[in-house]
Amino acid sequence: MIKLTIDGNEIEVQEGTTVLEAAEAAGLYVPTLCHHPQLTPYGGCRLCMVEVEGSRTLQPSCTLPATAGMVVKTNTQKVLDARKFVLTLIFSERNHFCMYCQVSDGDCELQNRAYDEGMTHWDLQPNWQPFEVDASHPFMVLDNNRCILCRRCVRACGELVGNYTLGFEERGADSLLVADYDVPFGESSCISCGTCVQICPTGAIIDRQSAYQGKETEVDHNIGVCVECSVGCQRNVLTRDNRLVRIEGEWDAPLNNGLLCDKGRFLPLEDDRPRLLTPLVRKNGSLKAATWDEAIEAIAKRLNKGEGLAAVASTRQPIEDLALFKSLFADNLKAELVTTLEEGKATASAAKLAEKLDKSFEASLDVLKDTDAVLSLELDLVDEHQVAGFFVKRQLMDGTKLLVADGKENKLAEKANHKLELKAGDEGQFIENLYKAIKDSTGDEDMIKAAGVLKSAEKPVIVYGQDFTKNADEKALTTLLEIAEILNASLVGVKGNANSMAASQLGMEEPIKEKGYQTGFVLLGDEEPTQKLIKRFEEIPFVVALSAYGSQLTGNADVVLPVTMWAEQSGTYLNMDGRLQKAGRALEAPDGVLTSQEALLKISQALSIEPDLDWQASLTARKPTVEIKAI
Amino acid sequence: MAKPKVATDWLCGCAGCHMSLLDIDERILQVVELVDLRSSPITDLKEPDEDGVTVGILEGGINNTYNEEVAKKMRERCKILVALGDCAVFGGVPAMRNFFGEDAALKRAYIDAESNDDEGKIPSSPELAQMTRVRAVHEVVPVDLFIPGCPPDADVIFYALVELAEGRIPEIKGDKLDWH
Repeated sequence: MIKLTIDGNEIEVQEGTTVLEAAEAAGLYVPTLCHHPQLTPYGGCRLCMVEVEGSRTLQPSCTLPATAGMVVKTNTQKVLDARKFVLTLIFSERNHFCMYCQVSDGDCELQNRAYDEGMTHWDLQPNWQPFEVDASHPFMVLDNNRCILCRRCVRACGELVGNYTLGFEERGADSLLVADYDVPFGESSCISCGTCVQICPTGAIIDRQSAYQGKETEVDHNIGVCVECSVGCQRNVLTRDNRLVRIEGEWDAPLNNGLLCDKGRFLPLEDDRPRLLTPLVRKNGSLKAATWDEAIEAIAKRLNKGEGLAAVASTRQPIEDLALFKSLFADNLKAELVTTLEEGKATASAAKLAEKLDKSFEASLDVLKDTDAVLSLELDLVDEHQVAGFFVKRQLMDGTKLLVADGKENKLAEKANHKLELKAGDEGQFIENLYKAIKDSTGDEDMIKAAGVLKSAEKPVIVYGQDFTKNADEKALTTLLEIAEILNASLVGVKGNANSMAASQLGMEEPIKEKGYQTGFVLLGDEEPTQKLIKRFEEIPFVVALSAYGSQLTGNADVVLPVTMWAEQSGTYLNMDGRLQKAGRALEAPDGVLTSQEALLKISQALSIEPDLDWQASLTARKPTVEIKAI
Repeated sequence: MAKPKVATDWLCGCAGCHMSLLDIDERILQVVELVDLRSSPITDLKEPDEDGVTVGILEGGINNTYNEEVAKKMRERCKILVALGDCAVFGGVPAMRNFFGEDAALKRAYIDAESNDDEGKIPSSPELAQMTRVRAVHEVVPVDLFIPGCPPDADVIFYALVELAEGRIPEIKGDKLDWH
């Protein structure tokens, strides 16, 4: 610990703390623009300048390490004058006329800093140099005229996401923010994660979906977990007048630290599937609008028979829904099949082994943030579970070795140091070969090289996807555990959808048979049914579907209940590394639409069943693959 | 003591700041109690008194030689010059044309615009003022008080007028500072 004085306050901080961090820790305010807590200090804008006793000139506090005995002043006249001057220079460099800017009046950090300094005008007039606006990207507009060259976006794209799409060309006043080697943003290597638009302090990168739809202070905020996959990123859903405006990553979230992918940020606002607004019941061969009572009666009549019942739920639904679903169909109605749309592919084999060994062998996702070698088994983290992929990609420049084993097209493999062939069905043999290569250095050359990389790593991680778990048998997984033990490696199983692991804990992971069911009950929620599922359900004589959207499956069903989509319901989710997190309700459901929970309770009531609603106990009844952490 | 005299004028703006001035509604009676409102675009007298006024208020930026002349005359005849609104303070929306230049702006308006006939004609007469780059008022004459906003809020205008009438310089900060 070292002691320094800031504005007369004696402050004790860890060595390596910057003056800015020390000041903030002491509750003192120093304005910043290029600085961002998630990024490496950069010292680009000079707004955070402070006076340091003994220094000839003012010093940028964001990059200045605190040293013992240092005496710092943050609000002398010299500092205040410098701040105003820095802001004046920034305003005069490009087009910073607030009256025609999207982020003006609250959402612009540059304007807010000027207000803080009480600036009523600028002494210097702008350099009237126009730059072209790049509107080629589907989700973002890149406007160099509004850019203050703080490079937050460039640093975020590289340091946080590991994508390195954004960069600068030219120098000084001619500096231009460009994508790749100056190609249109929409045709660049951008993966639309939107971190740049979230981190931009001005209107230089604008979000197209929410532009001019309301400022931060005019919208409602709803912080909760993303339901698009099992990573479990925390996000902020912004709404206004019961309409989605924008989705942002939560900077303070310990797991994703503000990051989201296109699926979590932009695509939910592009959903234009036809909404179901009324219950439907098949009469004389065609689906007709019905009341809730009629529809529930039709369902109850059929379920009372009970034979050959297959009940399948989406793993996008909250745990509360899944537990209720299981209690109703497995415990009370004794259905032949109670499972999920995932059919346990992403979880069953590993879950069985954990139960058998009575041991949680998977690690926290945080291990992926600090590793020197990653072995990815049949998993493309560029395509799915993208934020976990960012953790890996952003470390590659620092020398982290990436080994990708897959048998199909894999975009992560483009960045791999070693590619290994792993065909679907060969998982057992592959793991056996890897084991031999590690233990005895025998086998083919590629495998021995890969084994060498893993053996020399200090913090190796082996991460596997559902294409691996669905084929890997107990022997393969047991050998994988032995490998992890030899290497002192962490294992991460990414699983599938948002509540993949919860469904596994509830024991809903049976495969659906090709034929033989008499009644099919499917809780789709807002999940889009696959062609395979549609075909399976076509074979079943009577089908009940709970769905937010119309699809071929609901078109073929005999009773359809309109239920809420993700934003209209609340509930709990268990992510891939055992974090229990809440998703809140951000929107009011349309009239006549109930939550799946309400719909299931209506059905239970019609059948005089009192389902068990205590999901916490059911969730921990079985040894999990990874330790479950309380909310 | 005689009431302080106030004169206003508009330059390259949209008259919105004067509209916002009228938005003080019945409080204009209080203002008239406190000050002697002389020339303005919304009163009969069109030029500030030759023997001077206490406060001169200008709305709009300066985009031609005529505006320059009006601004200089106001500066000469007032003690305290106020730049009212984003155009007077920064150049505002009209300053967008500075990114393209006067020639391109004239061509767009008088030749290319969809409402023109086939030929179009850029007005040119020695009697017309010469077009210039759009400038903030303080680029042409010294300004004593800046009240930004597009337009400034009626409450801010009322506050500023009362302060000026009572011989104080208003402080435009906190809630009152809003460039829009």
